[in-house]
Amino acid sequence: MKWGVSMPNEIWILAEQQDGKVKKIVLELLSAAIDFSKKTGQEVSALLLGSGLGESVKNLSPFADKIYLLDDPSLIPYTSDLFLTSIASLVKEHQPSILLGGATSTGKDLFPRLAMHLQTGYVPDCTGLSMGEDGKLTAMRPLFGGKVFAEMAFSGAGPQMATVRNNTFLVNDKPDRTAKVISVSPQIDPATIKKTVTGFEKAAGAKLDITEADIVVAAGRGIKAPENFKIMEDLADAINASVGTTRATVDEGWRDLKDQIGKSGKNISAKLYMAFGISGAIHHVLGIGTCKTVVAVDKDPNALIFNYADYGIVGDLFQIVPALTEELKKVLSTE
Amino acid sequence: MEIYVLVKQVPDPEAIVKVKSDLELEIENKYFTSFFDEIAVEAGLKLKEKFGGKVTVLTVDNRKVDALRRGISMGADDAVQIADPALEGSDQFAIARTLSAYLKDKPFDLILTGRQAMDDDAGIVGPAVAECLGIPHVHSIIGLEVDDQKREAKVVREVENGKEHLMCPLPALFTCQKGLNTPRIPLVMNVMKAMKTQIKKIDLASLGLSQEDVGSQAVRVKVQRYLPPPKRPSVKMIKEDFPDNVKTLVKLLREEAKVI
Repeated sequence: MKWGVSMPNEIWILAEQQDGKVKKIVLELLSAAIDFSKKTGQEVSALLLGSGLGESVKNLSPFADKIYLLDDPSLIPYTSDLFLTSIASLVKEHQPSILLGGATSTGKDLFPRLAMHLQTGYVPDCTGLSMGEDGKLTAMRPLFGGKVFAEMAFSGAGPQMATVRNNTFLVNDKPDRTAKVISVSPQIDPATIKKTVTGFEKAAGAKLDITEADIVVAAGRGIKAPENFKIMEDLADAINASVGTTRATVDEGWRDLKDQIGKSGKNISAKLYMAFGISGAIHHVLGIGTCKTVVAVDKDPNALIFNYADYGIVGDLFQIVPALTEELKKVLSTE
Repeated sequence: MEIYVLVKQVPDPEAIVKVKSDLELEIENKYFTSFFDEIAVEAGLKLKEKFGGKVTVLTVDNRKVDALRRGISMGADDAVQIADPALEGSDQFAIARTLSAYLKDKPFDLILTGRQAMDDDAGIVGPAVAECLGIPHVHSIIGLEVDDQKREAKVVREVENGKEHLMCPLPALFTCQKGLNTPRIPLVMNVMKAMKTQIKKIDLASLGLSQEDVGSQAVRVKVQRYLPPPKRPSVKMIKEDFPDNVKTLVKLLREEAKVI
């Protein structure tokens, strides 16, 4: 098998969707792929698996040259058993030079296993990707929770695989491609289908996961009692943000584990992160290292969190948060 | 039940890790057992207490065996270290091939490990071992209930907008996430016992693996250079009194940072 003779083969993006709607990370990755393709002349393709995907195809079309569409009711809900065989056989047939996906619960479940299956290189949880003229990717990823970063290069044959964090790339606001839709029948080998999804508990509230939200606001133990998170929810509602927290409040049972930011919780890459009453323990700040803009509000002028912030206010969160909510509502309503 | 738990000794979250040169890191000598691996050990021990059987902790490491001793002190029955000079420079896939070569002829019902090791934070080894062994895996579980008779497990997986429940036949591999349990603190007596426990040492030749299968020549991605984390410009403190400071903050977020 020869990979990437002369012009490198296609760049593939796994177009993860939920309830027929494409995730934002997919458009971010396709936008990056379009930029890469301007350097290399490669085609950009989206790989879309699921059922009832009309809206997804419409969303994707301006961002890709091709959509490989595997539309089959048996492909939902996702399990790695279902996706792996179909994707692997498509990869073997078309030999893309790159295969990218979001560093999501699906990406982290599927990509390492797929990379092992394809015997190819894989860099997880990237916070940057750049493309050489020869079609070789360089991937940046944090190690040790973000204490250092590593620039990774691929070697050997096979597609260069990576999962990428949300908000690593901006979505192209003038996408100008028109995708050709290529329908493919899924390759489902009943012998490999072992897991079955038996149920789903939707998280309370309609907010995005803290890893997916553009804006995250968080409070730590400084908020004193679980019911006081109401002021955080109000602030979040005003600016369409999600509410995160620290390990301490999760361990106290005040907040759900899914909202924990930091080493034993989640790494977030929000465009705006605002921390209230969070001292800035290393466990926590490691989880916000790739946020674009950070605001810190704390009573203690020496709080470590200020070392990791762009803007800081020394003050009482119980005074600041409601006032900030009102001010934001005011300025946003006059637009 | 026959349970294997894959564990790793990693730098403590408080340990200082710095870039020494392009291809070298300086890591403070402060290690602990990767937190998510301890959760996996605890999950294995709970199943053993319910169904009987045996928990074996397994690591691939040429030097550090403290994660194995931690597992034994928590209550694991057996400890196995796979070590070989040829393993130096291995990537996660080579580690997975090595672990699978050891596990493939063992009578396991369940393999458990952490959702990722707290050093490279990669989360590759678990799913890659499952692929090598041809068994199902579920990543990042926060709930586990085993039916020993039916040889199946009900697991709960954390996903972005909620919790997914799955049914999975055994044997299987699960990677464990915080929230699954609280790892027990070993008794001092057991810590003493673990210090004296004989650790079974296995080399590559006995696994039928050669130098070509592992080490730096088998790597498909390699570090080009290490970099310190990108530096944030120093903080701009807004020193006005309340409520002017709030108004200024909103103005800065809109006009300077342009994020709202």
